[in-house]
Amino acid sequence: MTVWTTIRGVLSKRGLELAILLFAISTLLFFLLRLSGDPAAVLAGEEADPDLVALIRQRYGLDDPLIVQYVRYVLSILTLDFGESLRGGQEALLLVLQRLASTLLLAFLALIVTALISVPLGAWLGVRPDAKTRKWVNGIVFIFQGIPGYIVGLLLIQLFVVELRWLTSIGNQGVTSWILPSLTLASFLAPKMVRVVAANVSEAMREDYIRTARANGASTADVLWRHALPNALLGATALIGTQFAFLMSGSLITEWIFAWPGFGLLLVQSVEQLDFPVVQAAVFVIAGLVFVVNAGTDVVFRLIDPRLRRQQA
Amino acid sequence: MTAQTETTSPVRSLLPRLRIWPRAGSGNGMTIVGTVIVLCFAIATIGVLIWPPAEAYTGNLMERWKAPLEDGSVLGTDQLGRSLLWRVAAGMPWSLGIAFTAAVIAITLGTAAGLLAAWSPGPIRRVVQHLVDTVIAFPSLVLAVTVIALLGRGFWPLAATLGLATWPIAARVVYAEAMSISKRDYVMAARLAGVGSTTILITHVLPALRPTLLVMFAFTFADMLIAESALSFLGIGVPLTAPSWGNMLSESREYLVEAPQQMLVPATAIVLAVVAFNLIGDGVAAKARSRSRAVE
Repeated sequence: MTVWTTIRGVLSKRGLELAILLFAISTLLFFLLRLSGDPAAVLAGEEADPDLVALIRQRYGLDDPLIVQYVRYVLSILTLDFGESLRGGQEALLLVLQRLASTLLLAFLALIVTALISVPLGAWLGVRPDAKTRKWVNGIVFIFQGIPGYIVGLLLIQLFVVELRWLTSIGNQGVTSWILPSLTLASFLAPKMVRVVAANVSEAMREDYIRTARANGASTADVLWRHALPNALLGATALIGTQFAFLMSGSLITEWIFAWPGFGLLLVQSVEQLDFPVVQAAVFVIAGLVFVVNAGTDVVFRLIDPRLRRQQA
Repeated sequence: MTAQTETTSPVRSLLPRLRIWPRAGSGNGMTIVGTVIVLCFAIATIGVLIWPPAEAYTGNLMERWKAPLEDGSVLGTDQLGRSLLWRVAAGMPWSLGIAFTAAVIAITLGTAAGLLAAWSPGPIRRVVQHLVDTVIAFPSLVLAVTVIALLGRGFWPLAATLGLATWPIAARVVYAEAMSISKRDYVMAARLAGVGSTTILITHVLPALRPTLLVMFAFTFADMLIAESALSFLGIGVPLTAPSWGNMLSESREYLVEAPQQMLVPATAIVLAVVAFNLIGDGVAAKARSRSRAVE
């Protein structure tokens, strides 16, 4: 199987899923908006004067039959025309894309922090089977897994901003303001990642090739670094792909807590202001981003892991 | 929960199976500790529903921001002098009630869809699988935020949205489990004996699914509790005046300097409940595994 057939296979399967998803979501949003009452009144906001409502009806073609509105809506979305923000008047899609860099920066930082925590901890847990310390660390990881990310964020603010006054907790104001948001977002993924690395390492340590290496006189450290860890990390990196959607959910909360100027914050604010064009554009951009990351990891892993290459796309 | 790879992308087959849950103790011990905590929460919830505590809604400004154990207040008071103990109790029907309802919706729909996929011919199976893969690949919180923006705040919109965003995970597990059960000898024997497939489903497959469903319910409940609090925390969950745990946390952000207990009390309640349900799920899973190992 060549590189291109692999990529084409992944893209066609994932692309179909993305198309179905975006179609389903946009249809859902369209009908929910109409179910929730007169969209013109919703768009104009509470206590709007009737002239404004009439203007909105005319401008958005809300007097046409529902099916006509729906077709027009789908066509405009196919051309990536989400309309303008109801609050600022800027183009909704542009507004969202401007926030892309911030969200990606945060996700990238969080992944680095996750790796820094979970690779050493996971490798250590995986190598030491049935030690008493292992039981304790497992218990701690177990409890950490029960602490939602927004509580971690609040605790970090309480400790480093309120008590110690070392850091700030608002917005993106340079490197020191990156620390708490990236720690918070990392806390969504890190406990899961520790478990996966630990399980993968301990599984790899029992493989035949490890026993062979050991029989040839390799030390535990040798075996870990040269054989078990590379294998384990492959699986752990795959977790990033499958958990990216979850990471985006976490990003929504993290950005809101720290007023981080990414599109998660924009989405929450737009939802509160009922700014539907922006909500719609944000949902589409997030879906697209998740698609790119999922398809990307799928392709990369098919290319580097011979076991996957043999399976059908 | 072994054959999870069947419906999913091959990348997921690299991930180890569910037994990676760290064992915080023996299966039974964990289940008992978890069950005791959950029972306490359940009794408290019912109690609050029968006798709604007025102390949770009315406070005395003179008594605001009492620290825990200060002047006879057990867990302290908030910015309006309301007792945090009573507020966290009054929040139970909201937080735990929504999590429970959402988990029931998700597990019921997921089981139905999983069994439908396992028991129907190719085309229907593929449609269900595609649907499941598609919904799982999308950030559920983003979906929930958007839908609730349109439906409005409240108990039922929140419970329904969370349940509908979560069922595919249950569907995937039930499907994989049902497929492996349907290949067992006693199911084969029943089929050879001429028993109809609906009867096999009800008398053989559903009972065998019970431990899986229980484990899944416990984990889903914990996830739903976290999700409900997250949405309320974002201000897009239950009505803003309701004392749900997420709302309490959201309020507490303003007063981290004056009264950290306002954040710590609901945070502890959430973590305690989540850990308790994880303990039950993990304990039952450990027991089911050791039993199936004994059978083999």
